[in-house]
Formats: sequence, C-alpha cells, structure tokens
Amino acid sequence: MEYWITKIAYYLLTVSIVMVYGLLLSAVIAKTMARVQGRVGIPLYQPFIDIMKNFGNRTAISHGIMFYLGPVFRLAGGLGTLAFIPVIYGSEMFSNFHFAGDILLVMYFIFFGQLGMALGAGEGGHPYSAIGIARGLAQMTSYEVPFALAVIAVVVQYDTASISQIVAAQQGGFMNWTVFTNPFAVAAAMLAFLGMTGYAPFDVVMAPNEIPIGPATEFHSSYLSLMQINRAIFAGAKLVLFMNLFFGGAGNLIELVAKTWAIYMIPVIVGVAFPRFRVEQSVRFFLKIPTLIGVLAIFYVQYIVLK
Amino acid sequence: MVNELLNPIIIIIVALATGFLLPIVDKKNKSFTVVLFFMALIWIGLIALNGVVNFSSGAVAVEVITAGISPPFSINLQFGLFESVIILATTLIAIMTAWLMLDQLKENVSTLVLFLIWVMGIDGMIMTRDIFNLFIFIEITAICSFVLTGFNHNSNALSAGFKAIIAGTLASSFFLLGVMFLYYQTGTLNIDDMVNNQSLITGVIGHAALVMVLTGVLIELKPYPINGWALDVYQSAPSGIAAMMSVSVSAAYLFVFYKLLPLFQAWVPMITLIAGLTFVVSNFIGLKQTVVKRLLGYSSVAQIALIIMAITLLNGKVSVSLLALITGGLFLNHLLAKSALFWLAGMLNKTHVAQWTNLKKSPVVLFLFGCLLAALVGLPPFPAFWAKWELMMQLATHQQHGWMLLVLLGSLLEAVYLLRWFSGSLNDVKDEESSSPIRINTVTLWLSTVALFVSGFTISHLMGVSITPLFAPILAALFLLLFDELTGKTKAGITCVIAVFYSYDILLHLTGINWIFGLMLLMGSCVFILGSMYRDEQRRGYFPLLLLLIMSLGTLLQAKTSLNFFYGWELMTMSSYLLMNCGKNALKSSFIYLIFSMGAAYFILFAFALVFAQTGTIQLDAMNTISQYQTLIFACFMIGFLIKLGGLGFHVWLPGVYSETEDDYTAILSGVVSKVGVFGLLMAGTHLGQTINDEMVFYVLGWLGVITALLGALMAVFQEDVKKLLAYSSIGQMGYIVACFALMNHLGWVTAMYLSVNHLLYKGLIFLAIAGVIYRTQTTLMYKMGGLLKNMPMSFFSALIGIIAISGVPPLLGFGGKWMLYNAMIEKGWYFQAGMAFFASAIAFLYLFRFIHTVFLGQRKSEHKELVEAPFSLLIPQVLLIIAIMVFSLNAKWLIQPLSDAVAVYYPSTLTWTGTFLQTSQGYWDGYLVMNVVTGVFLLPLIILLLVSTTTKIQKVKQFNIVYAAERPDKPETTHVAYNFYAFYEKALGFWVKPRATQFWNSVAEWSHTMGSACRILYTGNGQTYASLIVLFFVIIYFV
Amino acid sequence: MVIENILQTPLSNIVLITGFFLFTIGLWGVLTHSNIIRMIIGFSLISTGIHLVMISIGYLTNKTAPIINDEIKSELLTSVVDPVPSALVLTSIVISLGVTAVMLSYAIQIHQTKKTLSINDCSEMKW
Repeated sequence: MEYWITKIAYYLLTVSIVMVYGLLLSAVIAKTMARVQGRVGIPLYQPFIDIMKNFGNRTAISHGIMFYLGPVFRLAGGLGTLAFIPVIYGSEMFSNFHFAGDILLVMYFIFFGQLGMALGAGEGGHPYSAIGIARGLAQMTSYEVPFALAVIAVVVQYDTASISQIVAAQQGGFMNWTVFTNPFAVAAAMLAFLGMTGYAPFDVVMAPNEIPIGPATEFHSSYLSLMQINRAIFAGAKLVLFMNLFFGGAGNLIELVAKTWAIYMIPVIVGVAFPRFRVEQSVRFFLKIPTLIGVLAIFYVQYIVLK
Repeated sequence: MVNELLNPIIIIIVALATGFLLPIVDKKNKSFTVVLFFMALIWIGLIALNGVVNFSSGAVAVEVITAGISPPFSINLQFGLFESVIILATTLIAIMTAWLMLDQLKENVSTLVLFLIWVMGIDGMIMTRDIFNLFIFIEITAICSFVLTGFNHNSNALSAGFKAIIAGTLASSFFLLGVMFLYYQTGTLNIDDMVNNQSLITGVIGHAALVMVLTGVLIELKPYPINGWALDVYQSAPSGIAAMMSVSVSAAYLFVFYKLLPLFQAWVPMITLIAGLTFVVSNFIGLKQTVVKRLLGYSSVAQIALIIMAITLLNGKVSVSLLALITGGLFLNHLLAKSALFWLAGMLNKTHVAQWTNLKKSPVVLFLFGCLLAALVGLPPFPAFWAKWELMMQLATHQQHGWMLLVLLGSLLEAVYLLRWFSGSLNDVKDEESSSPIRINTVTLWLSTVALFVSGFTISHLMGVSITPLFAPILAALFLLLFDELTGKTKAGITCVIAVFYSYDILLHLTGINWIFGLMLLMGSCVFILGSMYRDEQRRGYFPLLLLLIMSLGTLLQAKTSLNFFYGWELMTMSSYLLMNCGKNALKSSFIYLIFSMGAAYFILFAFALVFAQTGTIQLDAMNTISQYQTLIFACFMIGFLIKLGGLGFHVWLPGVYSETEDDYTAILSGVVSKVGVFGLLMAGTHLGQTINDEMVFYVLGWLGVITALLGALMAVFQEDVKKLLAYSSIGQMGYIVACFALMNHLGWVTAMYLSVNHLLYKGLIFLAIAGVIYRTQTTLMYKMGGLLKNMPMSFFSALIGIIAISGVPPLLGFGGKWMLYNAMIEKGWYFQAGMAFFASAIAFLYLFRFIHTVFLGQRKSEHKELVEAPFSLLIPQVLLIIAIMVFSLNAKWLIQPLSDAVAVYYPSTLTWTGTFLQTSQGYWDGYLVMNVVTGVFLLPLIILLLVSTTTKIQKVKQFNIVYAAERPDKPETTHVAYNFYAFYEKALGFWVKPRATQFWNSVAEWSHTMGSACRILYTGNGQTYASLIVLFFVIIYFV
Repeated sequence: MVIENILQTPLSNIVLITGFFLFTIGLWGVLTHSNIIRMIIGFSLISTGIHLVMISIGYLTNKTAPIINDEIKSELLTSVVDPVPSALVLTSIVISLGVTAVMLSYAIQIHQTKKTLSINDCSEMKW
C-alpha cells in the first residue's frame, strides 16, 4: 500500500513538473514568435495567469453531461499518457506507471483524450466543433502511419516494446541514440511530430484565424482551464516520449529540458516558415514521403542494423 | 394367386387390357372410366412396390420369359431392384400427375388410354432386355408423348410437338438401323447376349451400328445442342405432361442408357464430354431464361446430363451399390422436385419468372416451393445433397479433378437461376392480381416434399451417417413452426429457452477451440434472442429459422467428420439466408449472399473431396495425414471461409445484407454468423496448418487480412447509412482476425479468437443499440438523426462503450486485441502488415466518431423531440454485453487464459502471466493496473471540475444557444454536421475504395449471361435446324 | 457393263443400296423442305428405306423361305433365310404407320391453328 502511495505521490510530482514546464514552454514559444514578428509578446507567466483566471470564472450554462466530461476526458488523456511514460531514465521518482504497459499502450492512450474531447464538443452542438474534430482525426490517421512505422522500426531494432528498455538500449554515448543508429525512423517520426503538434503547415484543424469559435469558445471557464492544463501536460508527455524513443532519453531534469526544448523547436521553426495545408493535402502528404521514409526505416533496421 | 397378380408381366397386360376396356366402359359410365384408369395405375404401382419390398430384402431379380422359349430366342423382361424402384417412382409420379390433370385428361377417353399406354411404354423400356422390343417400347412411349404434348391444341404445344416428332423419329430411325446392323453382326437381339458377344461387332458396319444406336439413345437424353425440341416441349406441353417427360420418360431413357452402356465402352469419354458440356451450357443458358417452364427444362436437361456424367465417370470404378446411391440420389431428387415444380408451375399458371411474387402471402406454398428448390439446388437434407457429396468424394478419389470443377461450376450456375426465382417470389409487389393468397391443391406437393425429406433421410442412413445430430435441427425448427400462431414475444421466449438448453447440452460435449466457439456463438445467440422481444409483430417463420440457425451452428461445432461439418455449414447458410428475408426484404443483397455462400460451399466441398481422396475417410482428425495438394486444399478452404466472413473481394454481399435485414438480426449476423467463418479458418488451420511447408499462402492471407482491415475501415468512413457503416466496420474487423489467423502461431491465433470474442461483444452491443435508435427514429440514415443522447442515454452509453472498445483505446478490452495483434505481428516479422493494421485502426476513429456524433450528439431534429429510450427488452442484452466487456476489461486473464490454453494444444504458448501482468517476447501489458491508472487520472480532473463547477447555479442551455459568429441558426438540419462528413478525406483517399469488387462481380455476372446468350443461339426454334443438328451430331460422333 | 454388274450382285445388296438411297432421299427431304407435308413424306421415305435395309439383312442368297417342314428340317440352319428381320419389319411398318398418322394429325392441327404448313412458322419458341 505504501508503495502505491509513494508511486502516486511521485507521479503527481512528475505531473506538476511537466505541467509547469509545458506552460513555460508555450509561453517561451509565444514570446519568441512575437519577437520574430517584431511584437513585444506575452510575459512568461501569462499561461499561469490564464489558467488561474479561467478557474476563477464561473459557468452558468451546461449542454449536458457529455459536455462536462469532454474536458475531463481530455485531461485524463494527457495525464494517462504521461503516467505510462518513464520520464527520466534510471530514476524511480520519475518512472511513473510505465510497468503497466509498453509503447503500444501509450500510442493508443493518446487517442483517449481526443475521443473524449470529440464527444464533449459534439454535445455542445456547435457545427464547427464537429468540423474541427473531423479534420483533426483525419489528419491524425495519416500522420500516425509514419509514426507507427518509426515506432515499429525502433521496437524491432531494440527487440523490445518497453519504453524504459528502449531508453536503456540507447545509453552509452550519443552515437547510440536512435537518431544516429536509425536516422530514417527518426526522420519519419519527426515529420509525424509536425502533424501531432498542429503548427503550420498542419494547423487547419484549429484554424486559429478563420474559425474564431469552436471548442475553445464553447468550453469556457474551468473547462477551458482544464484544456489548457492538458495542452501543457500532453505536449510535455509527447516530447518526453519522442525523447525516449529517438534521442536517448534523459538522465536528469536538465537533460530533459534541453532535449525536449530542442525537439519542440523543430515544429515551431517549421511552423513559422510554412503556410498551411488543406486537410486533404496534409493527409496525402503524410502518406507519401514520410511513409516512404518510415518504410525505409524498417528496411534499414531489418537489413542493415540487425545484420 | 396374389403372386400371380403381382407378376411384372401383369404391368403390360393390365395397361393394355385397361386401354382396350376404357373406351368400352366410357360408353356406359363416365365416372367408372376414371376409377378403372386409376385402378390400373395403382395396380402397376403395387407390383413395383412389391418388387421393391422383395428385392431390397435380398430376393433375386425376376426374369420374365415369353413365348415359352428361353432367351436369347425369346423376348425377356427383367424385374429386379433397380427396375422396381424406377417403376415405382415413375408410376407414383404418373398417378399424381394424372390426378392433377384429371379434368383435362378425362375430357376424352382416348387421352386416358394414351396416358396409360404411355406409362406402360415407360415401364416396358425399363424392364425389357430385348433390344428390338426396346425399340417398340420407345416408339410407344414416343407416340404417346407426341400426342399428349399437343392434346390441348395449344399453338405453341403443336409447334413443339412437331419438333419433338422430327427429333424423335430421326432418333428412332437411327436406333432401328443400328439395331438391325447389330443383329446382323451378332445374330441376337437380346441385350445381355449382345454384350457378351461384343467381339462380333467389328468393322465399319459394327462401328456405324453402335454410333446409330448411341445417337438414337442420346437424342432422347437431350444433350446440348440437340435438345432444342425438348425445351420447346417442356415449355409448352401441359405442365403434368412436361413433368412426366422430364422425370419419368427421362428415367426410362437413363436406365436404357445404363443397360446399353457396356456396348459403348469406346465412347465413354466422349459421352462424358457431351454430358459435361450439356450440364454447364444448359445452366449457363438457364441464367438467361425467364419463362418458368423452359427454365425448369434447362434445369432438367442439366440434371439428366449430370446423372449421365456420374454414370460414365464412375461406372466400373466404384461398386454398383455406391453408383446406385449416387445416381439414385441425384435421380430421385430430380424426379420428386422437378415434377412437383412443373405441377406447381401449372397450378399457379404464371408463365414468367417475374410473375412469381408475393408468395409470402401464401406461406404453405412458399414453404413447399422453397423445399423443392432447395432440393433441386442440392441443399441438405435432400437426397441430392448426399449424392453430390458422395459424387465429389468418388470423383476426387479417382483423380477426376477437371470434372469436379465442371460439376461444381454447373451446380453453381443452376443455383443462381433457381434461387433467383425463389428470391423473386419473396418480393412484395403491390398489385391486385398477385397480392391475394394463392388457393391451390397442395396435396401432391406435400407428398413430394415429404418424400424428399424421407428419401434424404434414407440415403444418409444408407451412407452410414449418424442421423440424430443432423436431422435434429430441422425437426426442432419444424416443431417450432407448429406454434407460429403465437405472438412474437412468446416465440422469442420459447426459442431462447430451447436455445439455452440446447447450448448447454452441446457445450458439455465440446472441448478446446470448439468449446470456446460454442460458448461464444451459442450463448451469444441466446443473448441476442432476448433482444428480439422488442418487437410486437408476430414475425412468422423468424423464430423457427433462428432456432435452425443456432442448432446448425451446434451441428457445425460438434462435427467430427467433414460431412457433418459441410452439412452444418450448408444448413447455416440456408437458415441465415432465409432469416435475412423474414420481415423486411433484403432480397437483392441476400441473394448475392446466397450465391456467394453457395460458391463458398463448393470451394469447401472441393477441398474436402481432395482430402478424402488422400485419406479415404471423412474423419476430420485424419486430415493432417495428407501429403499432396496441401496448399491448394488450404487455399480452397480459405476462399470458402473468407467469403462467409466477408474478406476483401468477397465482401460485396455484406453491407447490403447488414443494412437491409431486421435490426436485431443484423446483430446476430455480425456478432455470431460472421464468426463461423473464423471457426472454419481455425478448423482448417488446426487440421492442415502443420502439413503446409510453403509459407506463401499464409503470407498472402495475412496481407489480404490487413488490406481488408484498411479498406473496410475506409469504406465505413464514407457511409451515410448507419448500418452500412457498421457493416463495413465489421468487414474491417474481420480483416484483423484473418490476418492474425494467418500468423499461424500461438499468439496470432489467441489474438484471432480474442478479437472474435471482442467483436461479438462490442459489435453486437452497437448493433443492438442502433436497433433501438432505428426502431424509434424509423430511419437508418445518420444525417436524419442527431442529438439523440438526450432522449436515449442508455443507448448512447452502450454505443459509447462499444466504440471505445472497438477503437482499442485503453482501458477497455479492445486494447488487448490491438496490443496482442501488434505483438504477434512484430514477433512474426510482419512489420509492414503491423503498420497497415495501425493505419486501419486509426481510420476506425474517423467512422466511430462520425457514428456517435451524427447519431447521438450534435443538434437534435425537431421531430425527434418526443422520442423515448429504446424498448426495455433491447436494453437487457446490452447490459449483459456491457457487463461482459467490463469484466473482461478488468481482468483480461479470464478471457485470454482459456483461449491460450485451447491454442496451446497446437502451438506452444508464448504468453507469460505474472498475476495480471502479461508478457510476450517484445512487450508487456497489465490490464488491471491500466484500468486503475485510467480510473485515477479520470477521477482527478473530474473531482477538480466538480469542486469548481458545482459552486454556481447552472442553467441548461436551449438547443441553439451556441456561439455561432453573427449567424443565428434556427434549424437543426442546417446546423448538424452529418452529411458527407468526411468530404475532404474522400478527396484525399476516396480513390482507394472505388467499388472495384462490385464492378468485377458485375462483369462476371454479365459475362456469364452473355455466355448463356451465346450458347443458346443454336436454338433457333426451327425444327429443321434441330434436325440438321441431329444429323451433324451423328456424323461427328461417327468420325470422332 | 453396269447392268451386268448389277445383275451379278445379289438381290439383297440391291435392296440394301436402294434402302439407303431412299433413306438419304428422305433425310434430304426432311432437311430441305419446309412444308410439313413434304417433311412427312420425307419421313415415310426414311422408314421405307429402313424397312428395305432390314429385309436385305435377313435375306440370304439361294435360300428358301423359313417355312419349316419335313423336307428341310434336317438342314434348317443352312437352307433358310433368317426369318427374324422379316418379322421385325412387320412390327416396324406398323409403328411407322402410327408415327405417320400422328404426324399427319399434327399437320392438320397446325394448319387449323396457325393457318400455315410451313415448319418455319413453328419457331415462335426459341432460346
């Protein structure tokens, strides 16, 4: 019993750290982009203020029970995803509940939040919610293909689906990182990551400029703050996952911050530089070059790495 | 004295004497004429019956000698078992025909006389052993046929009759000339003597003589292309006469052919070829035929050709009793079914196939019609089923693979046009003329149908099959049919109780994989039947058929022999087809289902026959000893079973059927019936898997599986009809199962079975939930629904649990399936297949979201405001299924462990358990812990939210109280996003799912029909063309 | 020359050839004439031809009639012609008479219902 209480306490600690880090990260990005565009930008504590404010706002309306549960599902998705990923290699404190399941569990649990959100937004009855979710799911189906191929390549390469063992296999110098042992897998996965983060050119899902409403407007007050928290945690969880799978994991918090920040900069930079794809374009995009690279990654593992 | 009266020669004496007496009696007393006429026929029948009784108990055949001199110097008749059986059968048909046609026949006493003489001629042909005497009987029969064909002076019948005369006279001319030359060379007219002195038949004269006799006999057996006249006769002659021509006269000619066959040994391959050609071509042409009696004619011609083929291919190779069983089974079946169909066609007086509609209004007629057609198609339990089975086994044993394929192809074509006729008759057409119930005298049809059942029973008994498990389903269904007047709910209850007891009994006798499937299929069905109580209608015929379906599943699961398996399979196909058309009409797609199923069954039959050829037994356990054609056999099984579970390319029947049948039945179809295909796969896998060294076939199957999964899911994305969406989803799910099966290892099979159980649970759940929605909204189109969560929260909850489980999102049991799937594939080295499966499961999210959003979420239609929750009886099975899903999600071990143990018999287990912690060679998963973690992380934000939100007063918003820029939505129709939901996805990937399979099968159908038209251009309708063809036929036989 | 040859051939062969000749003519008639009456005549020719062939088969040159009396009883098998074909011919003639009668009655009925005697007009059913 004590073991589980300790486990839960450690987990809550990890969640807090990742949340703070995720929020800071988004603030840093926003600030950086503002500076690039010649604006002053937000202060770094802005996301925290937003969340506090939203929690403080009262809600007066309800669309029904599913509407309530949407953000709950969403945040549970983020929390759960993080719960199944060991954050820091070799650390008992930051290992979470990774022994409950392997990489496949994480990949499927990522869907949990999206599904719940979709349901909640659906009950809101707003047409744009459905459109946004449909677009998001459509884009998801196609970027999951290169990502899945990359993950399969990694699993084959290290002959394990356990995330901690995958990290363990990459220890002993940066040349052991997947990014150097199987660059194809990492290339495919990073292209998929562009889609996952939803920055340009794959930001038609949120369509921040054209659709000023939708989930983000329908869900207000504490609902919105839950979603904001989730945004931070979920982003953090995904970054940690990518770091673990492809960049040798992290031995301590500093390494974690450095690596995840670097990974996060990739979609940000791409996002600043590119215009937007239509949904069908991005669906096709991921099924072409990135998928091909993913296929190459598996061939590379099969015929070069393992030979 | 009695013995004297039952002497076979009396047959001829009675007929002739009565023939002379009738006109005299007719002058005195009309009604006594008829009595006398029937007395004569019955007397003949009694003589034959006496013969059957005597000879079947071992008496020696009677040799009737005339003129006091022994053969070959006198005419002799032989009366043994075969003769007496054939005479009895033909006479019974004659009596019934005469009774049905009595009004027409008794108008003129000479018609009665002719009919009687006709029967005598037929009997004489059967009995005589003298070839010239045979000629005389042939002529007597022929003359009577000619006259009776045209006796009602119908213009068409006259034309046909004259063409028949042309052909018949040419035939008898050839026959007579041949006989004379044979006599010239052998110096005898006795057939047996002639056969014994065959060596004397030599040179050009001998050759010519034999060809002439052969041509004479063959013309009357109506092979393609010299049978145009016969088809005209079938089409236009009075139905009874056509029936007699088709069965009794043909019987006599077949027996004549059999008697003379020893003379034609040199021509056997050629006769086989002609018969084979006739069988296939007639059935091709039958496809194009729309006139009922001509259709029956083509079928008749084909059936006779099939029997000839059986005789020529197997004569001398198998024992006489086995040959008699095969040909006798085929013939008896043809005799009873075809004659009864001709009668029915005559009684209903509907010339064209298209006029046969609305038979549902006359259930008795429909039942009889269905039984007769089923018999003709060769479905169990009718004689042809057993005979065809045995024919296939023997052909395979003697390496006649080409002929096997030919027989199966022809049978399939025949099934197409016969069953299309049946399918059409179920159609409800609104018109004054055909919508009133049919009033006809069905006594003769009943007699024929009962005789078909009894003879099927007898033949299976002769084959040494244990009958109880095979006939129990049919008897139980017939028993339940007696209570068809009760209300639907009562019947559902009774069916459920019987099914539960039956399942319990069956499960006691099953082990291993069979037990697991038994539990799944039988208990699953019982749960789904509970759902059937939600309807108030009486649902005639639905429950007996449902019971038949369930019990046929039991037969299938219990099968220890390939014959029992095939029997159960066919019974299941038939009952599931009929169920599709109980209530709502799914005619078009269910017909496609039926035809595909028939094709599937023939593939399976072919495979079983190839196995039998090597093992010499029908025991399933002996299958793993085969050493030849393993891959071919396995591939045939695969095709057969893939058709049933809707594998890619063979799936075209599935969406239509699922969407058009009764909603609660769709749950059974998707949940239960599709699993039978999986069971079949595993049956083939467990018995043959070890014998196959070539991995290629599994590799192909694996790819087929994942491609099916992908395209099935993609198709589901684009559907507007909710049941079609779920149907395509089922196709996709089956794809995963097939792919897992193809892995041919422990984890793969465990996964396949695990997914099967899952699919039963969650797809059944969703189909039941949606059944309630459809019941309330009266539509299946998703864009006409929306926002139903507020009205039907329980149904929504079921659907929600269902879609979470399908999608494979943890913590529900669907994830276990996905997890094992990838583990198994990676373990096997099927990386790209795993990638494609992942893509497919991602696409599943699209249609699942579309389903739940457009039905339950979004904006509710104004007319749905007042809807209430689905009927209680639909919710009960849903609750049961949800409980099962939850239990297995919480403790996956309870489900996986038994599956793993069952498979461990065949492959060593690769799963390691540590408590609830499950490990494979790559990965690990602790379902119980995941469930707890997920509950925890779900409760955390929920509690926070509740703490924050419940502090204020919350008002429920109105429907359109949403932030909608500057617009003000006022209609749900314009605000509910539902129609063409994934337009952009269709733009991106829609080209992958162009209906290529449908196009392909359409072109196959088109091609077959064109083939039929091409073959029938020889039938110009001109008597002289037919005569020329006969002469040409003779010349060709002569020179070949 | 030709006549001499024919005179030298046995009678049975002449009958045989004539029979076949008639058969062929009859067949030709059946196949080429569309008038039903003419076809019936063709069939009659065919059957007559066959009857001649049958008789010729049974006839043996220089043998006497198969009437058994004391005179030939001792050498029965070598001295008489085969009686069977002749007997069969009688039956066969009766049958062909019957068939011809049926054909003619058909011709009458066809003419009454269709007002034609051409076989080509009897092809309303086909395929």
